[in-house]
Amino acid sequence: MRKILAIWAAKLAIAGSKLLGKNGSSTPGTIALKICPDILSKLSGDIGKDIVAVWGTNGKTTTNNMILTVLENQGSTVVCNKVGSNMLSGVVTAFIDYATLGGKVKADYACLEMDEAYARIILKYVTPTKIVITNLFRDQMDRYGEIDTTIEYIKEALGKAEDSLLVLNGDDPLTASLGLDHKNTVYYGISENLGLNLNETREGRYCRVCGNELHYDFYQYGQLGKYHCDKCGFSRPAPNYDGSNIQSEDYVSFDVNGVHVDLPCKGIYNIYNALAAYAFADKCGIPSDKIAEGLQKYKGQAGRMEEFTIKGKLVVFNLAKNPASFNRSISNILSEKRTKDVVIGINDNDPDGNDVSWLWDVDFEQLLDTSVKSCTATGIRSKDMAVRLKYCDIPKENITEDGNVKAAIMNAVNGSGERVYIVVNYTLLFSTKKILQELEEEYK
Amino acid sequence: MKLRIAHLYPDLLNLYGDIGNITTLTKRCTWRGIDIATDQIYGNEPIHFSDYDLIFLGGGSDREQLLVRDKLIKMKSEITSYVENGGVLLAVCGGYQLLGSYYKLKDETIKGLDILNIQTEIGQGRLIGDIVIKNEKFGTIVGFENHGGRTFINDHTPLGRVIYGNGNNDTESEKFEGVMYKNVIATYLHGSLLPKNPKLADHIIKLMLEQRGESGELSPLDDTAENEAHSYIVNRFAHN
Repeated sequence: MRKILAIWAAKLAIAGSKLLGKNGSSTPGTIALKICPDILSKLSGDIGKDIVAVWGTNGKTTTNNMILTVLENQGSTVVCNKVGSNMLSGVVTAFIDYATLGGKVKADYACLEMDEAYARIILKYVTPTKIVITNLFRDQMDRYGEIDTTIEYIKEALGKAEDSLLVLNGDDPLTASLGLDHKNTVYYGISENLGLNLNETREGRYCRVCGNELHYDFYQYGQLGKYHCDKCGFSRPAPNYDGSNIQSEDYVSFDVNGVHVDLPCKGIYNIYNALAAYAFADKCGIPSDKIAEGLQKYKGQAGRMEEFTIKGKLVVFNLAKNPASFNRSISNILSEKRTKDVVIGINDNDPDGNDVSWLWDVDFEQLLDTSVKSCTATGIRSKDMAVRLKYCDIPKENITEDGNVKAAIMNAVNGSGERVYIVVNYTLLFSTKKILQELEEEYK
Repeated sequence: MKLRIAHLYPDLLNLYGDIGNITTLTKRCTWRGIDIATDQIYGNEPIHFSDYDLIFLGGGSDREQLLVRDKLIKMKSEITSYVENGGVLLAVCGGYQLLGSYYKLKDETIKGLDILNIQTEIGQGRLIGDIVIKNEKFGTIVGFENHGGRTFINDHTPLGRVIYGNGNNDTESEKFEGVMYKNVIATYLHGSLLPKNPKLADHIIKLMLEQRGESGELSPLDDTAENEAHSYIVNRFAHN
């Protein structure tokens, strides 16, 4: 009875927030948990086939949504927290949104993006049959303390899922090391050297097993690459799902186990995300042509290279949360040879991390490229960002600082570049998207 | 003349945008026509301290800090004489703790380099957040702190009095932050420390030049952007 009451109350809250035009929220889940604390174990028991959890610093939402697209493409019904509310309450909200008023969840699959530090709490109530871990980078440092703490939290969560299949990014030594003590593991990776040659912070250069410095044959990006430890023999596992024949001129494509996959999105990191989704789907027994077909239908989420047109100019909007994803975003911006004006938005609210030290770990020096006509710093910490740009030696006259996001965007739109690129961190995502939609409408 | 910085173990001590401090010193020298270069010290290579005008130690996780301690303890007498002879040393967070007699964790005690008579003990929870301190000479210094260790500095001169935040520890009634000893500046502040505190950055450059027997007179720079970023933090957190 408590379950039904919880569902009704939460559904009312969902309807309310939809009426207010709010983007996905964790509030309904919070209400339901107050009424019925173990509601998740009750609801998740109804899932017919697989429950997949997606963890990792970067690419969680994208990978989770790629999995959703593949599953829905072959006609399955799926519970999914697709807007990235990835703590316990967000996961509960997703189930309740799907549940009937009688409290039944008639779905084949659940694909659940989880905050890796909260997974240990969520897994008290639901045991995933499969767990995908995309990568582990430094993120929101002041919340987790440090990356070692995050890894301890993940191990604690994995202790609750000993029989689950782990799908791990083998190119990341931090992620791959999680498979060492787990009996049922598959790895994905890219064996060919992509030759990206970025100058950036590398997180996991030390062996998780013995502490010795890892030897790298090459890096893909961050600490991802082909590595081994001379001392204890820990090495990059041979991938069960090996991306090859990588094309990334415009939209990306690759081959895996003899199947060709075209993605309707850009960015090398999306190949890793798609390989993760492919590995999961293959392990679910979905035919390979169906997986490739599903991946091709994937539609990007808010702030993942989303395109707008303002005053006739193409404006490309991207979310980045930490040094690794900022470096990816900037490389993407520079892979476009046309001239451009760039806006960087930095907030320091709790979900962003209150500490903005990491701005100094991002290779913003890349923006010295001649194709970049101007840089505008915005968000709560626009002034920190402006200092960061100054110390890249970007000429003073090409740097603007404006905490008002709309003004910052218009400054870039009125710039001399052919395109505008906007990169913001987490809590600027939805507000900036709204501003972009309004500006697009205004100048139609 | 070329100033030389030794950035110690940037692969191990790199938690808090520490590279921002090196970037700031480098640019502020370059913009003034002062030659400057940084050697990143890795692995077990020997360090010739007398070759350097600044030694920089950043912050790392407890595990990485222990690895660094093991490397540095072998060079204890060289580092000590570098400091006692007026060598300039900037230590942030984990690097700060390593300069003391020990860092007492729950189950073990990491012996430090004994360069400063300070002791650090792990406490309940981490002290995390923006911080503003005041130094008699440089005025306000702003940054971000994130440390589990509580440091007790005995008779040492602090870097500043805490106006907002925690500083060295959360137990003493008067709150102080960091230590200044000879030409050592040791602090929990990152954020990064030097970009938003240009006066402190220039003070370090001045010390480096003076140790070389050069004039510490620095030509002025336009610090509008840095000062605005600095004032933003002061006004947001420590507005009276």
